Parts: sequence; C-alpha cells; structure tokens
Amino acid sequence: MLLLLKLAWRNLFRNTRRTVLSGLAIGLGLATLIFFDAMMLGMMDNMVLTATATFPGQAQIHHLHFRKTLEVEDTVADADRILAELGKEPEVRAFAPRVLSFAMLSSAADVGSILLYGVEPEPERRVSRLAEVVAAGDYVDAGAENRILIGRKLAENLGVDLGDRLVLTVAQAGTGELSQEMFRVGGIFEFKVREMDRGMAFIPLAKAQQLLQLGGRVHEIAVAFKDLKTASDPNLPFWQKYSRDGNEALSWTALFPELKSLMDMSMFSLLIMAVVLFGIVSFGIMNTLFMSLYERMFEFGVLRAVGTRPSGVAFMILLESASLALVSIAIGIILGWGLTVFYQAVGIDYRGLEFTGVTIKDMIYPVARSYQYLVYPTWLFVFTVLVGIYPAVYAARLQPAKAMKRSL
Amino acid sequence: MAKAKTTKTAEPLIQTDKLTKVYRSGEIEVNALRQVSLAIQPGEFTAVVGPSGSGKTSFLNLISGLDAPTSGRVLLKGQDLNRMSGSALSDFRRDHIGFIFQSYNLIPVLSARENIEYIMLLQGVPPAERARRVAGILQEVGLQGFENRRPAQLSGGQQQRVAVARAMVSQPDIILADEPTANLDSKTGETLIDMMQDLNRKQGMTFIFSTHDPHIMAHASRLITLKDGRIEKDDVRRRPARR
Repeated sequence: MLLLLKLAWRNLFRNTRRTVLSGLAIGLGLATLIFFDAMMLGMMDNMVLTATATFPGQAQIHHLHFRKTLEVEDTVADADRILAELGKEPEVRAFAPRVLSFAMLSSAADVGSILLYGVEPEPERRVSRLAEVVAAGDYVDAGAENRILIGRKLAENLGVDLGDRLVLTVAQAGTGELSQEMFRVGGIFEFKVREMDRGMAFIPLAKAQQLLQLGGRVHEIAVAFKDLKTASDPNLPFWQKYSRDGNEALSWTALFPELKSLMDMSMFSLLIMAVVLFGIVSFGIMNTLFMSLYERMFEFGVLRAVGTRPSGVAFMILLESASLALVSIAIGIILGWGLTVFYQAVGIDYRGLEFTGVTIKDMIYPVARSYQYLVYPTWLFVFTVLVGIYPAVYAARLQPAKAMKRSL
Repeated sequence: MAKAKTTKTAEPLIQTDKLTKVYRSGEIEVNALRQVSLAIQPGEFTAVVGPSGSGKTSFLNLISGLDAPTSGRVLLKGQDLNRMSGSALSDFRRDHIGFIFQSYNLIPVLSARENIEYIMLLQGVPPAERARRVAGILQEVGLQGFENRRPAQLSGGQQQRVAVARAMVSQPDIILADEPTANLDSKTGETLIDMMQDLNRKQGMTFIFSTHDPHIMAHASRLITLKDGRIEKDDVRRRPARR
C-alpha cells in the first residue's frame, strides 16, 4: 500500500508541468464552483433583503383570512398585545403596524384604484425603505393628517403634483359605507418597481383607522429580524407563537413563494453547473491519466512481469487519480477562497439590475460557507477517483507481453 | 517439429508441450512458435539463440506466463500456467521467476535500492530481512554507494546490474534474460555474464537467455537454436549446476 502510494505520488510529479496544468484546470473548475456558490448566496441574500426591506418586511402578521380577501373587517386579533410581545422578542429588530385597504383616488383629471396603507412614520422607517424612496415632498407625517404620499407613476396617471388635491374613497369597516375625504399630495415616492409606484399610497395610520372606522385595529404587522437567516428558518418558534387566536405569522418564504422558488431554482442551476463542470473536469482527468498511462505502458508491463497483481496496478492508477484530485483540490480551495475574499472586499456591482421584479439596490458580496469548502472538494475527489476507474481497469487488464511491446 | 533433447532428471523446472503461438494482424498470421516441446532442468544456464523473428522472445514470454499460447501448454514447477488466473500468475512470477530486460526496465521513480526491494515488498519480506538482502546483493553486483540513485543517474551497466540484483534478490527458481548484454559495451557485458554465471554455479539458479551475444553462447551449458518458430538444434554441452 505504502509502496503503491509512493509510486503513485512520484509518478504524478514525473511530468510536473502536465500535473500542474491539469491541477490548475481542475482546481479552476472547483474554484469557479466555490466562488459561484458564494456569489449566488450573496445575490440571493441581496435580493431577499431588497425585496423584504423595500416595503413588505421579512415577516408579517395578519388575520388568518386577510391575505386572501383583504377584507377591512379582518384585522389582527389582539394587536396591542402582539405589538407589546414583539418588543420583547430578542431576534426581532423592528416592527411596524399597518392598515391597508382597497381605495379609489380621484384627481380632477383621472381616477385610479389603489392599495391604501396607513403607517406609523417612525416604526415604518425601521422596517421598510419607504422614507428612503421619497423622491419629492415629504415622508408620511403623523401630524399632517390630510397629506398623502403617492407613487411617481400614480401621480403621472392622475396628473397631479405636490400640493395638488385628491379625493380618497374607501369602504368603511362594519357598514361598508363609502367614506370620502380630500387630501393634498404631500410627497411622491419612487420604489422603481412599477406595480408599487403605480398602485400604492400612504397616509398616517391614525387617519387610515379613522377613515375605515377601525378604531385602534390594524391589518398587518410587518417584522424585521436582526438576521435574515432567522426569518428564513421554517422551524423558528416565532411562527407558531404568533399564528394563533385567528392570526397567522408568515416568513418572507411564504409571502414571496416566487422568490423562494427562484432561490431553489438557482441552487438547482448551481447543481447542474456543478455536474457539467465536474463532467468536463472528469474527462480532463481521464485524458491526463490515459496520456500518462500510454507513456508508461512499458512500465506497467514490467510491473506486471515482476509480480504486481492486476489489482495492484489498478490500485496504483486510482491512487494517482486520488493524488491528482488532492493537488487540484488544494489549488481550487486556494483560488476559490482568494476570489471570494477579494470580492467580499470590493463587492460585485449589479445595482439597478431588475431580476424577477426585484431591483438590486446594493453591491453584491459573496457569502462564504463551510460546505463550499467541504462538499464540492469531496465531490471532486469522488468524481476524480471514479473517473480513474476506467484507466485503472484498462491498465490492470494489460497483457504484460503486449504492454512491454518488445517484451522479453 | 524439432525434437528437443533434454537432460534426464526427475522433474524438469520447465516443460513445454507442443507450444504454439500465432500472432494475427488483420488477415495476416505469423507463426511465432510451432509446437515446441522441451524440458529445462533446474540449474541450467541456457541460451536460446536464433535470427530475429525466430521466436526467441515469444518463447520466453510464453514460458514466463507473460503471454498466452495459441495452443499447447507450459508447466513450470509442475504447474500449468494456462490454468492460472491473472493474480495467481502474477504471484507465481513474483515468487519463482526473475526477469532481466534488454533495456533494463527499472522503475524510473524508484531509487536503485527501492527497485531492488520492490519484489520483496510485494512478497511481504520483513524490513530487516529486506535490508540484509539488499545490502548483500548490492555488494555482489558491486553497486555499494549507488543505492540511493535513481536509474537516470546510473550508467547503462549500473542499471543492468540493478536489474540483475532485482531479478536475483527475491531468490527465484529461474531467471529469464532477454538479450541482457545488447545495450552494454563488451567489457561491461562480459562482467555481467561472469557475475551471472558465478551465481549460477554458486547458487544453482537457472538462467535462460535469449541472445545474439557469442560470449553468452560460449558460457551456456545448453544452446537451443530456434528457426522459424521451431527448435532447429538443442545442444547440451555440460551438466548444469545443481540447486
């Protein structure tokens, strides 16, 4: 065993240039995979953060039926108690109560149906980016009750600008009676997401509750966790704790199943990429092994002649294959780690790119995980050794006299 | 088929029975050996001679199990090589046959010592015993001080000495040598033959050479001449050494 290992290792470095080139090629494949995985994780984190932080939050608490119907009646049960409890949750960074309802907004020029949100300015500032995306005028001001914050596209559609008058019509809770009130455009926001900029408007929470005859009730509590991973954890006790008394607490994975599917698809794409990459790498290894084998055919004949069993020859080739894999893994890990660390420092600029309705707003920073340095190298090792089986069996089956050509 | 002369002993070391080898290359058939039957006794110092293409190499390949005959059989120490599996044949060669090749054929990545040790490692000889035997054989072939050199760092003569040491150190019953002096200058070649003959006399080791070298022919106890795959002449000159 030790002898065969020694032979395999020394044989590997007989043609140092070829071994280094092969190791570099295989290592580059591994490094690409490690880096691509880290980049995808960074991009996904970025997209989820962008999608959740833009407005919805990483989690939401509603009445059990509210998401399906948006019925004004379906308010969060015992919202005050929940808000008090959320304030004590160690993993929760911020939360904001909201009221929302279908509404109609009319200007002198046109009419538009919208989703009206009543928000508390300060808590909302900590949960969403609403305050950051105000492009003109002011953010929601609890003291300015009849000021409304509308999207850029909605303003264009209604033909209004800052200070212009709008009439808001909503259906009240309980009676369903229509309630109308005049507002002036206090601010214009721009999320740069068409649906939001065209169909959302914000007024102070208390004003919305008054218009909808809700009293102190709310329809939604948006939650931001200290760590996004917490919000992604389906086993977090939080979901059960707040999914009772007719309420439901949902993570972003349930709120945006399309984003979750995109992540799953991305991971599947990565798997396909890994298989293709390892496939290419494998044929490279097989080629290297066969080249080495043909060059040393005579030696294999000699090894067999002096008493090495066919299995011994095969094992030696597999050891060479495994040694090549180890060298390549070392190169791949160093390159992959180096690339990841470099781009963690400088970031990857995809800002402004819209992907499945989410506009990337921040630099993407690759995320390193231990599995990238354990799972992929293990795959590579197994692939390389598996690929070595064919040349190993080929060498083992050689007729010594034929292998030596000139033979005895 | 030429009739082989054999020395009369109880059990020959090697016995071939109507050994035939036909090589096929497409439509062309080449009869390398044609029904060769002979017996080789322990301790012989036999030279197989003949022109190129006469079947010398094929004969050595077949009697060592490096190649399979088209028909006929080879009995080595009473065992039919044709009936052995690949692994069994490898073990048999490891334990009973030493090889010396024309081009030395040392393992380039192993030092002289490691090349010599190789077969003993396969045999599972304990380290102390290996070291003792290697030291002894290095002295015998005059290579002390060269043991840590790799083949590329040795001259042709030195490499062939390592090859001889490798063949002998495992104490096989028979050593097969394919034109061992072909790549050596005459002086080195003669020294090598003298050394092998000395081993043959002292240890009774059986040697079979294929050769064109008149010096080997002159020293051989038996001269088998092949022509067109048949034994043309089988000349036993003197009694072989006993093991």
